[in-house]
Amino acid sequence: MEPKADRFQKTLTVGNQLGIHARVATTVVQTMRNFASKVTVSKDGVEVDARSVLGLLLLAATPGSEIVVRAEGPDCRQAIEEIGRLITDEESQ
Amino acid sequence: MSEPGVGPVENDTNKFLKGIAASGGVGIGQVVAIERFATEMCPKRILNPEEVVSEIGRFEAAVKSAAERLKSIKSTIGPDHPLADHAYLFETSILLLEDRMFFEGTKKAIESERQNAEWALSEVMHKIAAAFETTEDEYFRERARDIHFVGERVLRILMGVPSESKIHQLPPHSVLVAHDLSPADTAQIKSERVLGFAIDMGGRTSHTAIMARSMKLPAVTGLQNITRVAQSGDTIIIDGSTGVVILNPDPEMIYRYRERQDVYRKYHEAVMAYGRLPAVTRDGTRSVRISANIELLDEVEIALAHGSEGIGLFRTEYLFMGRNDLPTEEEQYEAYRQVLIRNAPNPVTIRTLDIGGDKLAASLKVSPEANPALGMRAIRLCLNHRDLFRTQLRAILRAAVLGNCQLLLPMISCLTEAQLAKTIIEEVKDDLRSEGIPFDERIKVGILVEVPSAVAIADLLAKEADFFSIGTNDLIQYALAIDRVNENVNYLYDTLHPAVLRLIRQTTSVCQATGVPIAMCGEMAGDPVSVPILLGLGINELSMNALSIPMVKKLIRSISLDECMELTRRAFEMHSAGEIRGYLSDWIKKRFPTDYFVDET
Repeated sequence: MEPKADRFQKTLTVGNQLGIHARVATTVVQTMRNFASKVTVSKDGVEVDARSVLGLLLLAATPGSEIVVRAEGPDCRQAIEEIGRLITDEESQ
Repeated sequence: MSEPGVGPVENDTNKFLKGIAASGGVGIGQVVAIERFATEMCPKRILNPEEVVSEIGRFEAAVKSAAERLKSIKSTIGPDHPLADHAYLFETSILLLEDRMFFEGTKKAIESERQNAEWALSEVMHKIAAAFETTEDEYFRERARDIHFVGERVLRILMGVPSESKIHQLPPHSVLVAHDLSPADTAQIKSERVLGFAIDMGGRTSHTAIMARSMKLPAVTGLQNITRVAQSGDTIIIDGSTGVVILNPDPEMIYRYRERQDVYRKYHEAVMAYGRLPAVTRDGTRSVRISANIELLDEVEIALAHGSEGIGLFRTEYLFMGRNDLPTEEEQYEAYRQVLIRNAPNPVTIRTLDIGGDKLAASLKVSPEANPALGMRAIRLCLNHRDLFRTQLRAILRAAVLGNCQLLLPMISCLTEAQLAKTIIEEVKDDLRSEGIPFDERIKVGILVEVPSAVAIADLLAKEADFFSIGTNDLIQYALAIDRVNENVNYLYDTLHPAVLRLIRQTTSVCQATGVPIAMCGEMAGDPVSVPILLGLGINELSMNALSIPMVKKLIRSISLDECMELTRRAFEMHSAGEIRGYLSDWIKKRFPTDYFVDET
């Protein structure tokens, strides 16, 4: 068993009709509270905390934009998977 | 849309403004100007070093109180609220309050710059707003408003300036004129007093626009400076279909817009005519009492105008909410009295307090619960806080002599609760008798069937009840284990679920065997697709949102009981909500091709 925290990152394309808008950002922040990893989202070189609604909204991530999600911690893969589901899901607008 | 025909006119009459047509319809009424709170007004001073800690404490307390207020407003938006779809905005606002940039940023400014809380906060708000304003996308640029509203809420608390005062005391025929309205403002508006919105900011996608459409009220947004030119009390016309606003119209202009308003209303009125007719099936074999669900006194007039034959559900919670103390017996008596008198001789069914302890935290010491829907609420709360219950019962029993009053006990889940509640009612009657105060000796006491266990023991409860009323909203939620406001699962919520229909049938068959009258309150009672089934199952009173009454009456008058029976028989042969809904929707579309809007989903 490796003791040091795991890291993971993934590039995603935003799929919601309005992008990462208020409802999605709210859900992301609420969901990320269930994870232990430190998670950030970046777009065009700006990186924000995935637990900050303001940060996520300030990315102004419109549909189709590319974002990079980075996570560091024991559940980093699950956290990224979860974010991916929330921001690429056409239904969850 | 071309310009409306009259050019700019002398003086202040017929002043035209053009904005964005955000929500259709015409409103003609009086301006109520909702003043803008200027963050520039906030006091600025440099703190003494020893004040820093307490200033941070003051800021934290203000944020906490703002979050609590937002939560309490959110809790008033139930699944039936026209703005239910937007309730998430309150969650967003609460997260913004907790956001590092906002919360920690302000505390840091207090600490390092030694600015007082108001100053530090307004600086942080400006910085965040400025960051949003640089984004190109309109939607994200608009989010600057969200942070402004949240910050303003905290600022008001810090400065002791009351929020939302005017929103609570609107005169009838109000047209709200504002620079912008926050979702929290809009959510607290009593729509029957408001004829529309005229707003400086925003477009078709602004919150006010979306909310106005949900409330079916006209709105014009993007007017830029209407708050500068309109004053409270001015007459105003807003045409939300063309984006035109006319201030101080002359009589001719008012007349012209009244005509236009008539066109919008025409279809509506054609249907409204049915409100005045009794709901008797075409074959004359079944007569159904159609009554209204109300919450506020003002809604009585709306109910009567739509043809209600009584109040099948008078929710009393509003008397208890949004305050720190409990309403007195006299206050309650006055409210019940007015509703009873205005509806006499038709029956008014008053539901005793149906609320969770969490909503009354200010006056009762109820500890927070992990699962309020299954917790200390409604009859359980009343049986645990006897004084609260007795006060309400005294007020109802006393008012009952003035009209045709029935009592309805919510959330009964076992026989003991019903018996205990009835014992208390008898005790209260004894008290009133010994005090020589007049009251209704023979008041009918009904049970609200909304917990699946109540359906299961309906035969036992029938012995304790003068009538049953099925509350579908909660019954479905508890029976299907679905929280209707939970977006992840609410696709499973369907009033036509075979289990729901069977629960209703189980209840109505007990009623048929025992002779206990049965009513239904809840959204299903006003749903045209469900109504034939409810008749087929033998329900003889439907209580609904007043606006649905004319349509439902029209439907009942057009169908025969045989038809209802056949539809019911077929529905009970089907296996899923989807199948049943599809079948009934097809039927209603074939039968009434132009009348009913059937939601396909």
